[in-house]
Amino acid sequence: MFRTARSKVQTWITAGAGTIAALFVAGLMGAFGALPAHAPPQLPLDTAIDAGRWRVQPVRAYVSHAKVYGVLMKPGQKALVLEADMTNRTAQSDKAYFDVFKPDGLALPDPMPMIALTRDETLTPELHPGMTERMAYVWPLAGDAIVPASLSFGVTAEIFKPRDNLYGMPGWFNPYRLGTITLPVADVPATGS
Amino acid sequence: MRIRILGNLVILGATVVLSYGMQVSKPHYADLTAPIPADGAMHDTIRARSFDVRLDKVVFARALKTNQFGRQKLLTTSGLWAVVTTSLTATAASTTVADGTWQGPTGLRYHQTERLGYRQDMPPHGVDPGLEKRGLLVFEIPPDQIRGASLLIAARQFGPLDAQARISLDGLPTSADGQPADVLPEYDLDAPPPQGKS
Repeated sequence: MFRTARSKVQTWITAGAGTIAALFVAGLMGAFGALPAHAPPQLPLDTAIDAGRWRVQPVRAYVSHAKVYGVLMKPGQKALVLEADMTNRTAQSDKAYFDVFKPDGLALPDPMPMIALTRDETLTPELHPGMTERMAYVWPLAGDAIVPASLSFGVTAEIFKPRDNLYGMPGWFNPYRLGTITLPVADVPATGS
Repeated sequence: MRIRILGNLVILGATVVLSYGMQVSKPHYADLTAPIPADGAMHDTIRARSFDVRLDKVVFARALKTNQFGRQKLLTTSGLWAVVTTSLTATAASTTVADGTWQGPTGLRYHQTERLGYRQDMPPHGVDPGLEKRGLLVFEIPPDQIRGASLLIAARQFGPLDAQARISLDGLPTSADGQPADVLPEYDLDAPPPQGKS
């Protein structure tokens, strides 16, 4: 009688060990997940920032009331413009720079910016490895939107995986917020053009 | 009894080693489905699956002059423009040749430029069997990517297991520091063909 009870307990423990371990690990992960996350750091403006596949150096930000770098605006709209020097850090020509910058705390009619090469107003050209080009991110805004004098932009980066989980191909995945840059925003009134 | 246990252990160990070796030496999916290269040199005719290509001339320039929507435009770059002239023929049926990549000596891949917009003489090139056609490819490259470079030409950009012409550019004249021997200040894309040498 006593012996059978002991073996029963043993069986229960043996069979339940996996479940107990799983519950323990899940509880631990939950506890770590509930910790307050680190706020993304403030990034320096005077040095280039390595953000995943791009090396970026923000230059200036302003609000334009007229057509800027060939980007047309609807009547009554203005545009928030961020100019940055971008360098492709990867081994091949690429144009996946749409999500690198995002202004914080502004209501954007369209979250996707228009991006132009400042050299000749080409819209969203591919950037080639190691060749730095100045790009202008243009977000159209409602004409009465209030833009603070100092605006922060979130910088998004991705991580490189030499083999992805599906095909084993190299690629850039898992975008995360690398940090924040804060720039003064000038207001450029419309000139005659 | 002991020998049997030992034997089992040896078999287990051998299986682990073999499986690990197979896992480590497994080829990449990207390599298994990569384009199949057809190698050649400048001025040779290279036979890819659906087209033949011959690289005739490479001209370097600091700026490109082009006509966009009836407006003269001077396109500059932080590196150099490389204007590559090829002769293209289809092998069996009319087809298109759309993809050009300048591969630097260390394997950096410079895709053909998109800054020219739509032009009649830019890729995709429609080619027909038996009719030789001049096909232009324009690249933006840094000057240090010229020596030891090669040119990759394929029918489309993502063509797994399709042929890709791989033309070695060793014949380009460069000076001791790798800079091209002859750089035009400006290349006019709308001028009639013979411009510059190389």
